Amino acid sequence: MPRILIVEDDDHIRTALRLMFEGEGFSVDDAPTGELGVALFARMASDVAIVDVMLPGMTGFQTCQALRSASDLPIVIVSARDETVDVVLGLESGADDYVTKPFVPEELLARVRAHLRRRPDKSANAFQMGELRVIPDEGVVRYRDGSELHLTSTEFRLLTDLASVNGRVLSREDLLERVWGYDYFGDSRLVDVHIRRLRMKIEPDPASPTYLVTVRGTGYKLVL
Amino acid sequence: MRQRSLRLRLLITFGLGALIVSGLAATLTYAGVHRVLVNDQRQTDLRQAYVNAALVRSTLYTSPTQLANELNAIQRATHSNVLVQTHHQWLSKSTGAATQDVSRKIVRKVLAGDPTEQIRNVNGQLIFVVGVPIPAVETQFFEVFKLNSLENTLRTLLLVLGFGALVTFLLGIAGGLWVTRRTVRPLERVSLAAAAIAEGNLSTRLQVTRADREVQQLTESFNEMVSQLVERLERDARFASDVSHELRSPLTTLATTATVLQQHRDELSPAGQASLDLLVADLSIFQSLVRDLLEMARTDAGAVPLVIETVAGVELVRQSVRSAARRQGIHEPPVEVEASVGDPLVSVDRRRFERAITNLIDNAHYYAGGATFVRLNVDGSQFAVNVDDAGTGVALEERDAVFERFFRGRAAHDRGLARGTGLGLALVRDHVRAIGGSIQVLESPEGGARFQILLPITAEEAP
Repeated sequence: MPRILIVEDDDHIRTALRLMFEGEGFSVDDAPTGELGVALFARMASDVAIVDVMLPGMTGFQTCQALRSASDLPIVIVSARDETVDVVLGLESGADDYVTKPFVPEELLARVRAHLRRRPDKSANAFQMGELRVIPDEGVVRYRDGSELHLTSTEFRLLTDLASVNGRVLSREDLLERVWGYDYFGDSRLVDVHIRRLRMKIEPDPASPTYLVTVRGTGYKLVL
Repeated sequence: MRQRSLRLRLLITFGLGALIVSGLAATLTYAGVHRVLVNDQRQTDLRQAYVNAALVRSTLYTSPTQLANELNAIQRATHSNVLVQTHHQWLSKSTGAATQDVSRKIVRKVLAGDPTEQIRNVNGQLIFVVGVPIPAVETQFFEVFKLNSLENTLRTLLLVLGFGALVTFLLGIAGGLWVTRRTVRPLERVSLAAAAIAEGNLSTRLQVTRADREVQQLTESFNEMVSQLVERLERDARFASDVSHELRSPLTTLATTATVLQQHRDELSPAGQASLDLLVADLSIFQSLVRDLLEMARTDAGAVPLVIETVAGVELVRQSVRSAARRQGIHEPPVEVEASVGDPLVSVDRRRFERAITNLIDNAHYYAGGATFVRLNVDGSQFAVNVDDAGTGVALEERDAVFERFFRGRAAHDRGLARGTGLGLALVRDHVRAIGGSIQVLESPEGGARFQILLPITAEEAP
């Protein structure tokens, strides 16, 4: 039974979400504040988390950062606003996905399930990228000296999926489908922000990328 | 009614006014000066005539034979002709004198013993005739003065006054131009600013310049009015936005609880199940409505900055159509590209373009049985994206109105549909305009509606 952590300050929404996820067979831990949520996570080791952005005290973004620093679990941000800056901030703070209120509950359910279904593709071949070696069957990226570069599971998946098509271009929609497991929703900003975060980690000069290249009007490709 | 131009009227008023005033002044001046000059001349001439008459009298007493010489001497000295008559006979006259200059009337009066004067016009020449009786020797003395020099003076005066009137008239026109500039210019600026505001350029204000008090007052009240209007517009927009924001949390709870109820659908009675279905259906409309309202409020407030990218047009449409159809879970219409299209680049906000396409495909889905094709062609320097359907089309008189907020056309009424939010097409227009394009409704080759988005082409071929 998957464990889900819900951090939401609105009592009604929190209760409704708890009822819905319990109805779908989840064990639910819920918390009205970020502080309580992080404490709860430390005890319960949830498989997935839903975090509201507007929280009293510790903000949703801060909660997200705290959870991310402790674990690779999928985090879905629930934002009251749809502005790009909020979405970007949410994803920058370590979330894998976001939904905006008022959300369609089935959509939230589908996204959470997609994140849980996702497992790293261990069958792919290891490949070299400059100073870095990507080793899918271990799920790690190592420098020449053997030290590890930390990627979130979403970032790792993004990188290995782009590598698996041998330099072909993947559109944002393709990537949403492959990496996030969404076949009919999702937002291209989700891809763009994750690509940017990935570039910060793997590109020698993130401003003019040489590996993760944007193909104008089409999508992204990995040049090895 | 013919529109009269304030500018023209001001000019005419000033010009005519100046002309009338200067003409009147010139006429009065001329009349006055004429009177004074003629009077002066008359007095001088009269005095001289009496002196000359006295001279003639003494000559007639002392040496009558010298009369002719004497008369000529007078003529030389005074440039006037002198004539002397006795018993109706001309006794003598100076050499230049003509007897017809002296009328019978004046001769009669002088014969009766009255000194007489008369101004006559003889052959276009103005003359001043003075007759003086000399009863002691029973003669009559006449002196004829030419008024040539006076006439010349008066003509010069007339010329000067006429020139003065002309200058005044021109000055009047110039004054009119100046006043026009000062009064009509500000009016024109107000009119331009009002037009700009009407076009939606709400940040337009009149520049406060150093000007007349009235103009400055106009400028200030105009700007004040615009600020008030803008504030009010913003308040209205904020209200819609605030209401929608407040609806979000309860709506989220409602939707989530409805989902929980659906998990327990089997435990409900048939009536409960039917009610739940209605609840879920309307909740979804309610959610879409709040979503659209929020999007609209954000667009209105200009809170969403445009993220303009230059992208390949055809690929952009393909991707947008695909993700729109998937997102809505509806049939994906095929994209048909006309051969002449090539590979144009367009500059768009990808997200907003996708929203526009999503709403158009949605609209076709709700009201026309789904979009049949998305056809692409190039119209001059514009990239045309046509979302076609095979529905009943949009009546000519509704083709502008469909883009109004909460407009429900015949199609919606006829089919008893209330599934759309009434905001979808209005949002499409907002998005398309924001990325510099335009949208219109035409007829599709299938006889249904064609929603055509025109985007300016940034460059012909992708590099």
